[in-house]
Amino acid sequence: MIRHLAAASLLLSTACLAIGPAAAADPGITDTEILIGDVEPLTGPPALLGVAASIGHKIAIAEANAAGGINGRKIKYVLEDDGYVTARTIQGVKKVIDVDKVFAMIGISGSGQSIAVMPVLEKSGIPSVIDVAPVKFLWEPPRKNVFVVGQSYEEGIIHLVNFLADKNPGKKWGLITQDDDYGITVRDGFDTVVKAKKLNVVYSGNYKKGQQDFSSDMLQLKDSGAEVFLAGGIISENIAMMKELEKLSIKPVTGIFWPGRIEPVLKLMGPAGDGIYAVDYVEPFAGEAGKAFLEKAKPLVSEAEFKGINRYTMTGYAAAKVLIAAIERCGKQPTWACTIAELEKTRNVETGVMAPISFGPGVRFSNQKLQIMQADTATLSFKPVQ
Amino acid sequence: MQYLIQLLISGLAIGAIYGLIAMGFAVIYKSTGLVNFAQGEMTMITAYIAWTISTTVSGNVFVVAVGAILAAVLLGLVIERLVMRPMLGEPVFATVMVTIGLAVILRSAINFIWDAYPHGLDIGMGRGIVHLGGIGVRTGQIAVIVTLLALLAAIWAFFRYSKVGVAMRAVAADDRTALLMGISATKVHALAWAASSVIAGIGGVFFALSYDLSPAMFQLGLKAFPATILGGLDAVLGSGLGGLLIGITENLAGGYVGSGMKEVAGFAMIIVVLMIRPFGIFGERDIERV
Repeated sequence: MIRHLAAASLLLSTACLAIGPAAAADPGITDTEILIGDVEPLTGPPALLGVAASIGHKIAIAEANAAGGINGRKIKYVLEDDGYVTARTIQGVKKVIDVDKVFAMIGISGSGQSIAVMPVLEKSGIPSVIDVAPVKFLWEPPRKNVFVVGQSYEEGIIHLVNFLADKNPGKKWGLITQDDDYGITVRDGFDTVVKAKKLNVVYSGNYKKGQQDFSSDMLQLKDSGAEVFLAGGIISENIAMMKELEKLSIKPVTGIFWPGRIEPVLKLMGPAGDGIYAVDYVEPFAGEAGKAFLEKAKPLVSEAEFKGINRYTMTGYAAAKVLIAAIERCGKQPTWACTIAELEKTRNVETGVMAPISFGPGVRFSNQKLQIMQADTATLSFKPVQ
Repeated sequence: MQYLIQLLISGLAIGAIYGLIAMGFAVIYKSTGLVNFAQGEMTMITAYIAWTISTTVSGNVFVVAVGAILAAVLLGLVIERLVMRPMLGEPVFATVMVTIGLAVILRSAINFIWDAYPHGLDIGMGRGIVHLGGIGVRTGQIAVIVTLLALLAAIWAFFRYSKVGVAMRAVAADDRTALLMGISATKVHALAWAASSVIAGIGGVFFALSYDLSPAMFQLGLKAFPATILGGLDAVLGSGLGGLLIGITENLAGGYVGSGMKEVAGFAMIIVVLMIRPFGIFGERDIERV
């Protein structure tokens, strides 16, 4: 008898543990709605990224809602601003999970903020798809409920530097990076190729986050005789660097990273930005896929939001599509456990804005395919380099 | 030699922008005894308004200049009337905290009113490059240096000879006695906020001309504050010159020591100067510190 009771208790406990948090909670779902939460920098300098990514989420949600929602339930999007302040990211994620009681999380701020908020997300067990900041810490080691759409900064830089090195053999190199996690990742990727290809680096600078005047830095670059330059700024910094180079009448072969690969940057760089190379894993707007995405987005967002579309809108859109598809596959009564299991089963999901997305058992990073693009000032666009 | 001259010219150009914003700090401090931590944000707002005028109403340089100046005056007056005047008589610490709160609100306003994208202020001038003996300089950079020097002279004359300037000095020295002499302290405060907003706004507009507008522009206030401390918190002219010194020091450090030293150099300089002259190079000895 005791043995039977013990076995029954064990079975019950195991069942509770297996379905535990999801079955017990399963918040954010009513008969008519499913809540999806997001915390992004909507104010402060990186708002350019956060706002654009949230527009991508809205497009995917509007598209799904227009098609009847997820198995009859409309998706409601709960968006919080963290102002790119880590403490506010944590506060915002807790608020969205505990107060708004969303069913799943998407997006989630920048690199440092995502890293800081990881214990909260992991402890909550809520299905989460991060698309704003693909940093290795988020998927190494893999966390049960956290999935990341994108490509790592380091891989991106390695791809770009490899391309530029192959195209410009024997040339002198210059590099400037920001003094933070982002800059360290850029530098690490650069150093990997420098070591492998024995590149001749004649200038290596480091600027403080928030620096706006690059006159002495670019003068040093000119003085060093660098012929190939990796501009490791984010957005405004790269513009300032290119304009300084224009003032100094030099034009090295220049590569920039995807955070700055947005069309308005080219307008501000003017002729100084013509021909610069960039690496990215989302399609350029100048290509067929990019144009098709804009066509799709136009009726789904406001005029102001449409103007705010940039590459981060594509990453946000793709991540939201993957999450929505996973919830949808769970049928009429989606749970956290099912959504996580379905996210894990994601195979070659087409979003139209990047290569097909896949995860797998223990694989929480989509590892998107990279491509090189080149700036064309005349059309203010980036075009793929064949 | 050309390397050094290029560093000096670039340093003077960015230093002139710091100097203008630093003068904005000093004008308010000199008249009200208050450090306005929203100075960088006020600078940024004026620059954004100038950009809006240039893109929606007119790109004519005079229209943009007059519009931006009027907007800066209005901004200064509104802030003084709605935010600062109710704080009269409150502890300095509380009033300073209000300026910090104001800074955050103005910073957020950029994204709500405008957007987070960088923008270029194009008024048909200021962006061209001229080559002086092989050294490239943007015309906007030359203009900001000239403007700073002209403003330094004008402000010196204003405080020295005009009735209003003398009244402002009187209120700064002893507002109760000034009141007994028939000077309205509130009017002087309002004027100081308006003047500070305009002077710093000019710096912001020149920055936008030479570089670009972006929501990160508020950080110019953080760069200009050391210039004010260096020149003297109560020294309007000294603050302007302090800006030039900080700009040159930053560029020389960046050019000769290393790019990482650029942002540190200005602060290192003020630490050294303040150890020798705690009231700044041109400041008066009796400064009540916050």
